[in-house]
Amino acid sequence: MVQPKHHVIIGSGITGTQAAITLRERDPKSRITIITMSTLLFYNRYDLPDVFRGRTDWQSFLVYPPSFYEELNIKLRRGSRVVNVDSTRKEITLGHKETIRYDTLLVSSGGRGYLPEELVDFRSLMHNFATFEAAMNVKKILPENGKVIMLGGDMLGLDLARNLIQCGYTVTVITGEHTFWPHTVEGNERKTFMKALESMKVETFDGDKAEGIASIEEGKKGKPARKIIFKDDTVLEGDVVMPFFGLAPAVEFMIGSDADIERGLLVNPELRTTNEHIFAAGDVCQIWDKKDKSYKFFYGWKNVRAMGEVAAKNMTGDNTAFVTTQDEKLRLDKKGQINSPFWEYD
Amino acid sequence: MGNISTKPVYLEDKLAEIKSDGKLEYRSKALPTWCPGCGYFSISEGVTSALNNLAIKPKDTVVVSGIGCSSRFPFFVNTYGFHTLHGRTLPVATGVKTANDDLTVIAVGGDGDGFAIGGGHLSHVARRNVNITYILFDNGIYGLTKGQTSPTSSLGFTTSTTPYENHDRPLNPLMMMLSFGSSWVGQGYAGDPGHLGEMIEQAIAHRGFSYLHILSPCVTFDKTDKTYGNLNMQVKPIPDDHDSSDLMAAIAMAQNVHKPPLGLYYKEDRPTLADGLDEITQQSGGGKNVVTAKAAE
Amino acid sequence: MKNTDIQISICGSAGDGTIAAGDILKRALAKGGFKVIAFDVYPPEIRGFGKCISRVRVTTEQVYSLKHHSDVLVSLDDSHAIPHVGEVRDSGAVIYEDTPISGVLEGSHISAHISPGQIPYGLPVREISEKETSGNRSRNIVALGYLAGLIGMEPEIFHETIADKFRGKAIKITDMNVAAFDKGYALGQKTFKLDDVTVGKAKKSRNKDATITMMNGNAAVVQGCMDAHIKTFFGYPITPATTIMEKLATEMPKVGGRLLQTEDEISAIAATIGAGYAGSRCATATSGPGLALMAEMLGLGVVAELPSVIFVSQRGGPSTGLPTKTEQSDLNLAVYGRGGDGQIIVLAPTNVEGCYKCAGKAFEMAEQYQTPVIVLLDLYLSNRFETVELPKQSPFTKTSNKAAKKKDLEGGYKRYAFTKDLASPRALPGQENGMHTITGLEHNELGRPSDQPRMHEDMSAKRHNKLLAALSHHDITIEKRFGDEGDVDVGILGWGSNFGECLEAMFKAREEGIRCSAMKVVMLSPLPLGPINDFMDASGEVFVPELNYEGQFANLIQGATARSVHSYTRVPGSPMRVEDMLVEIRRLAKIKKAKKIGKTKKAKKKAA
Repeated sequence: MVQPKHHVIIGSGITGTQAAITLRERDPKSRITIITMSTLLFYNRYDLPDVFRGRTDWQSFLVYPPSFYEELNIKLRRGSRVVNVDSTRKEITLGHKETIRYDTLLVSSGGRGYLPEELVDFRSLMHNFATFEAAMNVKKILPENGKVIMLGGDMLGLDLARNLIQCGYTVTVITGEHTFWPHTVEGNERKTFMKALESMKVETFDGDKAEGIASIEEGKKGKPARKIIFKDDTVLEGDVVMPFFGLAPAVEFMIGSDADIERGLLVNPELRTTNEHIFAAGDVCQIWDKKDKSYKFFYGWKNVRAMGEVAAKNMTGDNTAFVTTQDEKLRLDKKGQINSPFWEYD
Repeated sequence: MGNISTKPVYLEDKLAEIKSDGKLEYRSKALPTWCPGCGYFSISEGVTSALNNLAIKPKDTVVVSGIGCSSRFPFFVNTYGFHTLHGRTLPVATGVKTANDDLTVIAVGGDGDGFAIGGGHLSHVARRNVNITYILFDNGIYGLTKGQTSPTSSLGFTTSTTPYENHDRPLNPLMMMLSFGSSWVGQGYAGDPGHLGEMIEQAIAHRGFSYLHILSPCVTFDKTDKTYGNLNMQVKPIPDDHDSSDLMAAIAMAQNVHKPPLGLYYKEDRPTLADGLDEITQQSGGGKNVVTAKAAE
Repeated sequence: MKNTDIQISICGSAGDGTIAAGDILKRALAKGGFKVIAFDVYPPEIRGFGKCISRVRVTTEQVYSLKHHSDVLVSLDDSHAIPHVGEVRDSGAVIYEDTPISGVLEGSHISAHISPGQIPYGLPVREISEKETSGNRSRNIVALGYLAGLIGMEPEIFHETIADKFRGKAIKITDMNVAAFDKGYALGQKTFKLDDVTVGKAKKSRNKDATITMMNGNAAVVQGCMDAHIKTFFGYPITPATTIMEKLATEMPKVGGRLLQTEDEISAIAATIGAGYAGSRCATATSGPGLALMAEMLGLGVVAELPSVIFVSQRGGPSTGLPTKTEQSDLNLAVYGRGGDGQIIVLAPTNVEGCYKCAGKAFEMAEQYQTPVIVLLDLYLSNRFETVELPKQSPFTKTSNKAAKKKDLEGGYKRYAFTKDLASPRALPGQENGMHTITGLEHNELGRPSDQPRMHEDMSAKRHNKLLAALSHHDITIEKRFGDEGDVDVGILGWGSNFGECLEAMFKAREEGIRCSAMKVVMLSPLPLGPINDFMDASGEVFVPELNYEGQFANLIQGATARSVHSYTRVPGSPMRVEDMLVEIRRLAKIKKAKKIGKTKKAKKKAA
């Protein structure tokens, strides 16, 4: 008897979940395991700003109900961190010392918020917005009509910013090189979009002009909870400081496997890494671009979902290349407000 | 046996004599149902005179028995009596005595009751040293059910359940009771009522578990083995130089089953079950034992 | 405030402190004013690594059954806990060790078995334990702390309970365990909570005459014995009754009582009856196999009309059967198990408070009606803990002996005199002029053997009819009806430990719109036939669920009432599943409906 194949997917986001669904369609008898650090089932992080509108029941964020995984016979390993991948033995090790064998492995662990080196020391004084738990935490500590200081201002942050403003909070973006990430916006275009931000009631503060951040401190009693001191001695006060400097691939557990890493996992257009049994998809991978002769990141909901599907196909014998269909241009809508194709999702 | 008196005996004199010594108070109005000539009559006589001599009141005496000819005993004495189940004399007696230390508890029974069905209890009542007296009427046969073999029936004995002859080696009750840790062990003979009465008195007077083995012929179902005729020739008194504190000597003497010595085999003073229970009460930090004080309320 | 109703299961291997953790949990919550019912399952083997499970249900109002689904499972040993993950309901929590000492193969870690609907909570139990107590001995306490922090229980009551638990040991041990608890608690509090398991506010009792405590059925029996001033006890160890003797062995000497471990159960009951004869308040305790050995002696107790109390905790049978599993299969033996016409009183409490009450009342009844009285428990009731309110003043008499008075003793004392209440005055050994001999033989009023036909008729009638007075014995529930009043679709007739599940099923059936009530029968012999018949009159269908194969209670009822019931029997060795009972109740409710429709159709036809 031929043992059914074991497809293991690291990451339960849109990429991993889409891959699992496609795998199940194409390989009905296989074993499929999704490993995730989250204790929640797959939810849509694009919806997270809704917590400020009173949507606080985690179940309402779930894309699929628990029964979905049981019906598709997809095993979910929540609360599990991958600490090692041994590609020779085709084995991964979890934080709780359990080893899992795979036939094909898909790494779709995504990216986590990047934090510039000079801010690492202040991590404990900042709040991220990467998970439902983090979102709920910000909602909990942010006073009514409170003020958020947003560092960097990537498109994830700007999405949150426009939602916060709609909910009556104020937002100040400390602008810099990461503003509008992953869009590349320069020169006059940048000026236009900066203006558009103001028209959206997003306050901006040019961090570069203030020579960068010197430190972040707790505010005095009776004052806002945080203050940012710039190198030119300018001080900004706010209730919450949130970094939005774009994403960095979550790949540390792949060090030691024989899949090559630059910043992300390097894959060919078929999303295969340098190890034939290991694939990567989503924000974690850099895909070889024949034209540019370089490895490139492809962001956006449409892209990463498509990557999940392509990877799943190729894990089950196909040989499809990933082609981006994502519009990557930042634009203004009719009202003159910023709109990004990265904000779109089904 | 003994001297045959040549003096005439008159009924009135005899009655007056019986009434005067107080023994009659211990006699029940019910007449014994034993066969004429049964050895149990002299045991009954011995118990009543012993209680009388020891001045133990009938109301403070409980006679507990099991099932069998001997176990009818309680009906024929005027004390408190409990005719229980076959083989269960000793645990019932233990319960009675544990509930009320002030009672004199005498367990009576036969060889079948005590050593067959009730054999499991012997060792425990002996080792616990329950302060009761166990009088065992050994006739080597089941009399009440009309003559079947018993655990003390001799090899080769023919009965209704061993029609071809008994092949089961008989028990040695004295050796058993000595080895179980009885603190008083003696042997009497129904054919020597005088000596028997003394032995019963000693057994009851002993503080602790006393076991008195009585050789007692069944005149109806044993015409060949343990008859008065045979036993009269076999029994002999314990030698004067026997040391009753010497357990090994007592056990050695108990081997002499064909010439059974009569008298006190072994006697030892040691704490009784009640002493131990009172000690537990002390150890627990409790007050003095209230069981006995309240039991008779 | 929402009423609290959560059930927590802690599962581990012998030596993990599973039962100890469950014990601290239930005691702390009882201390906090909650009602608790708890039942532990542990292996028959003393050594080794058998499975232990402690299940604790916490409620605002007392309930008498465990839920089929737990809200939380705490794993102290994954190999044992994995088969129980399925017991956790959707959105319930599974708490487990995330830092095992050595590597495991795929599927050997509990996280592999948690279903998508359940919430996983892994934590470094061992690491925290090692840090706090320089050993892994308090893994159970760390996990308990985490649980308490996660679902928001007050830490102070746990601190007190832990201190109680380790009282008598070095203070350092208490301190270390409290520290371990606090570390777990802090982590639990910090954890982002996704499950919906919460505790509400506890309701404090206002009864000043009662002490609220938590104990299991066997402990309640012991408390009942002590409050009834038990004087003597004779017993032989047998699961699940042993702890009665063990506890009495500690408690009785303190008040001057006497306890003796006998050589077997025959000796135990013989000595008990002997002590009863001597006027002592006496008891023994055993299980099915021991009760079988006692059968002959109980017959003697019947015919000699002597008091004795026998606590019987049933386990799976026949023979050695399932010594560590629960069952209700000794009803026949308790009710019928004597040679001859040997009726006695049999009381079967349905909850822990009932164990206390029945224990004390059994002594009164044994003395007043001069009979053996069996108090019939089972492993489930013996070992399950409930919060109970016990009266501060003993509600039991010191003695209920009907003593022989001077006039009874004059002119020849009749131990078995035919009196109005059929219980003859009793002279006790030591009493002047009361000398008499009692016997297992049939006898006349004097107690002398008699085999006269008329005497046997009269004495048989005396022995049976005197027991009927027990049906109106003061201050004890003989039977009780719960739920809907008046006519109902389904009437559940239950007994013993299983009645808690009957109640739960009844309440659930009512929620579904089925008219339903449940009656517990506490006195199984003699049976309260009046109320039982009334209940059957009011019930469209009579449903009799019990944990034995033969339907022993159903047969008892059918025999006594000459009416048929729906017997429902299961022998899983564990409490009955309420869900399974509900399926039957729904089916019976439909039968009743169909009958009703049938009747009205017939009536309509007639009218037409």
